[in-house]
Amino acid sequence: MSQPLVSPVRSAPGSHYGRIAVIATHAFTQLVRMKVFYFLAVFAVITIGSNFFDLPQHVGPEAAGTNVLNSIKSWSLGTMTLFSVVFAIVATALLLPKDVEDRTLYTILAKPVPRLDYLAGKLLGVILLVLVSLALMDVLMTAVLQIRTSMILSGQLELAHSRGWSAAEIASLRSDILGQGPNASLQGAVFVVFLRASIMASLALLISTFSSSTLFTSIISFLIYFIGHFQADARDVFLGAGSGSMTRAISLLLALALPDFHLFNEFDAVIQGQVMPLILLGKLTGIGLFYAGFYLIASWFIFAEKEF
Amino acid sequence: MADVIPAVEICDLVKDFKTSFRRQKLRAVAGVSIRIQPGEVYGLIGPNGSGKSTTMKALLGLVAPTAGRCAIFGQDSLRVDSRREVGFLPENPYFYKHLSGTETLRFYGKLCGMRGRVLDDRVRELLALVDLESARDRRLGGYSKGMLQRIGLAQALVQDPRLLILDEPTAGVDPIGSRQIRDLIFRLRERGMTVFLCSHLLEQVQEVCDRVGIIFQGKMVREGRLDDLIAIEDQTEIILRDASPELIARITALVATCPGTELVRSGKPRTTLERLFLRETHRDDP
Repeated sequence: MSQPLVSPVRSAPGSHYGRIAVIATHAFTQLVRMKVFYFLAVFAVITIGSNFFDLPQHVGPEAAGTNVLNSIKSWSLGTMTLFSVVFAIVATALLLPKDVEDRTLYTILAKPVPRLDYLAGKLLGVILLVLVSLALMDVLMTAVLQIRTSMILSGQLELAHSRGWSAAEIASLRSDILGQGPNASLQGAVFVVFLRASIMASLALLISTFSSSTLFTSIISFLIYFIGHFQADARDVFLGAGSGSMTRAISLLLALALPDFHLFNEFDAVIQGQVMPLILLGKLTGIGLFYAGFYLIASWFIFAEKEF
Repeated sequence: MADVIPAVEICDLVKDFKTSFRRQKLRAVAGVSIRIQPGEVYGLIGPNGSGKSTTMKALLGLVAPTAGRCAIFGQDSLRVDSRREVGFLPENPYFYKHLSGTETLRFYGKLCGMRGRVLDDRVRELLALVDLESARDRRLGGYSKGMLQRIGLAQALVQDPRLLILDEPTAGVDPIGSRQIRDLIFRLRERGMTVFLCSHLLEQVQEVCDRVGIIFQGKMVREGRLDDLIAIEDQTEIILRDASPELIARITALVATCPGTELVRSGKPRTTLERLFLRETHRDDP
């Protein structure tokens, strides 16, 4: 300690966006250094393995192989949903209690960092992790699907030529097969998976502001996730049965507080090769932003009053 | 001094906590008032659970006062802006283990709005200041307790605050590390920085502080300038070097001739065990 004392510096106050970006980048780095990306190996095995799930089919030889494409999409999107939701919940549930337990939160809040900036940064860090994870999985899925689609297309075109199909019939066949391969709707479906995981991260953040443990936050979040899939049915039962105004009000409040995750299952149609309408994507994006923002603000209200 | 804005002003601070089950109130701090002028080193001492840390947390806005008010350089400490002038080192800090020393300081510097060359230079200077240049790229998971405390001190200083708040800064640190931290506090004081520290290691507080407050069961029981508090008013100390036995005998005889004056003790002053330890351990240094 024989060095001269450091020269005085005057720091700028810093913007909200700047601080949020610093905390988000840090949260992302923290999670990456926990080696969470090892799961990509599991995803690769599932995606490549889904190539070999050659289910019995009841279609003619001209459609042979398309069921494998469906299988790849179905397994990949299913695994993406599972991994992204688990990541979103567990990572968010882990970050806040860990900072409190290790007292690192004291050192952060003792700097000129508003509590909303801290929460938003942590949430964005997790969302960034989910985004990068999904992007990597998407690249892998698209690559496998592209290779397999090309193989099927060349086989089918060969068959069509040998049977002497007309050019219009061949063009239709090509269009049908390419419709089952990687396309914009499939990317839209991946984005829907991302929206769902982002909502879950925001919800886990809200729960972790009053929960005392990661386990409690994770269990409650998963519970709400499953309830969210039946929310619409429950609401229909309550509202459709002509119940009293109080019950209706409670049902409406529940509908506002809990997202209807059934809406996010629309990508099932994409697996079957249907096009995802842009209007639907816009609607789901709006719902995702609403709930993520709603849960973040609610978290802030609780966290602002919290004492450490 | 009337126009000087105090670095710390705590007025009649009361803090109640609710216990988990019966929702009964537990009064952690009961009407504490502290005023620290810029440039002072103030020590808050008291046994465990006496309300030291709660007082510091209230000053940092980590807990809201039940009654009373805390201000830092005139700004209410519940306002985020008041934290621009404060560096804080909590008791037994655990920083992010996955970050290296450099990354840790960069992270805290960025939170304070520092960027680019200014931040790079500051990080380099602070690592040199706390003697962690050789461990700058090592992850904090591999740091010793003393190293963690020093990197904690560096993060507290990153934005060059005017007030430094230290909660048990030498807890669990070996005597050499403890001495380094004290030396740093001395040098910060020379530079005019205000330091507010709490500790139950009384000898250390005595060594570095200008003023001291003693808190017990949430109440301030004694406060004032250290010299005033610990001076024994009816005694006088004379320390002689190379005094012969004859001189000692003459002084003793002279004292005996003065009615109402009593020689309480004479003998060789002793060094402290800590000074002995530091002297012996430094002797073997290359």
